[in-house]
Amino acid sequence: MLNLIFCELLKLKRSKMLPLSIVGALATPIMMLLEALQTHFEHPEQSFTLSDIYENSLLYVMLLMNMLIYVAITAYLFSREYTEKTLKTILPVPVSRNKLVIVKFFTLLIWSIMLSVVSWIGSLVLSTIYHFIFGLDDFYFTASLQWLIKFLLSGILMFCTVSPFAFLAEKTKGLVAPMIISAVMVMGNVALCNQNIGALYPWTATFFLLEGKTESTGYPILLSIGIIIFVSVIGSCATFHYFKKEDLK
Amino acid sequence: MLMEYIIETENLVKQYGAATVVNNINIHVPRGNIYGLLGRNGAGKTTAMRMMLNLVFPTSGTIHLFGVDCRENTEKLYCKIGSIVETPGFYENLTAYENLELLRRLRGKQKKEYVQDALKVVGLQNERTKPFSDYSLGMKQRLGIAAAIMHKPELLILDEPINGLDPIGISEIRLLLSELSQKYGTTIFISSHVLNEIEQIADIIGVMHEGKLIEEVNVEELHKSNRRYLEFKVSDTLAAVKLLENHYRITDYLIQEDTIRVYDHTYNSGEINKCFINNELLVTQVNVYEENLEDYFSTLIGGGGIA
Repeated sequence: MLNLIFCELLKLKRSKMLPLSIVGALATPIMMLLEALQTHFEHPEQSFTLSDIYENSLLYVMLLMNMLIYVAITAYLFSREYTEKTLKTILPVPVSRNKLVIVKFFTLLIWSIMLSVVSWIGSLVLSTIYHFIFGLDDFYFTASLQWLIKFLLSGILMFCTVSPFAFLAEKTKGLVAPMIISAVMVMGNVALCNQNIGALYPWTATFFLLEGKTESTGYPILLSIGIIIFVSVIGSCATFHYFKKEDLK
Repeated sequence: MLMEYIIETENLVKQYGAATVVNNINIHVPRGNIYGLLGRNGAGKTTAMRMMLNLVFPTSGTIHLFGVDCRENTEKLYCKIGSIVETPGFYENLTAYENLELLRRLRGKQKKEYVQDALKVVGLQNERTKPFSDYSLGMKQRLGIAAAIMHKPELLILDEPINGLDPIGISEIRLLLSELSQKYGTTIFISSHVLNEIEQIADIIGVMHEGKLIEEVNVEELHKSNRRYLEFKVSDTLAAVKLLENHYRITDYLIQEDTIRVYDHTYNSGEINKCFINNELLVTQVNVYEENLEDYFSTLIGGGGIA
């Protein structure tokens, strides 16, 4: 299994997807900096804290930017074996089909967490720069560490909800279909992030859960968690089942 | 003595919807032999090979590799096999070395020098920085061969391995395969639609057509039994045939327009020719022919050539 993980990571060497995803994960902190600068120059009387920046960052990370990136990564990991026609080379080695899917999900988890950390670091660095130039209220490193835990959890929760896109990438053997569906899903996020029913939409439910907003929606937390688990399990089972039974023509 | 088959299929069938791509084939590949699977494009060769490599699941029938059902104990079984299926697929962003290193690690318990040795065999040892995406078709094919042989397998399953190779490359691969078979006793199951290539290295030839295995024949025996014939171009074929039947009791002949092919070798051409002339037949041409393999297989699949 360790060899399989090593190989999965080796496959990313010189891959453009890795630096691209890092740039994508830094988009949210940069947007936050621009927003802070705009607020500073238009309303200099307004002050905000490091936690405000992180809170907004987490919203954009979980509902918009990183969600799209995680779907792109998922589709890339699961479809590249088809597009590069490598399955006929590695499966007869032999490599177990189930183990290959497990390792891909594991790589996806690591990658998701790593990008969440990148977003957190990006927010911290840019906030620090802002703090030294314009000043931020309640700027404490310990506060940012509390947010690190939330960002790590966001990576894990988002990982749970992208498994249906792994199946979609396998089924369509490419990036296009998962990306189109993910755009629809993100539009759903935008529409429901301020609605109570967002607690039942798996991709906003993760954000509500992490921000402790689920209770205020009136829906039981367990229902929200159940929906997230359901989507995750269905997506994973479909991915495993399809790959195990598929004829590789 | 009972023949030991490294590959043995029993009533192997693969259907996609209503289309039967592989239809009840029974392949027998003895240990240490080179088995050439011939057939036109779409004959079902690649699907048969993919089933042997567990890439495609049979609709019915069984495949035994090394005497064991290929679905049992796959880890132990497939580490003894090297393969290429059509154009080899490798990770585009990795170099030849990295791609082979990845396979070596996946196999586990493999010596590190196997990678460099395999690259040397196919002449890619100096391509240290070029990623696979920049390779020519010939280089990709050579890397595929390196990947197939690097772990010194007992069985090679090669689907069209010479595709994209230049004549020198083809000759080198032919030599390599012959050497692997003779020196190390590697069993090789190779498919091609180029009869000439298969004929030069194979011990046994199987012919697939429209999903069916229509012939499985030993090449040596085939050469021995390849029919030599005498061909006479005569003024009156019916009179000539009568003479052959009455005078020489020859019945193994074939009439084609104004020529007669005589497959019976009891009498030589001079003797028969003399007989025709003595019976006032005009003989304008006498030839001795040997039916080549191309003709033989072409006849098998109903004409049109093997490729």
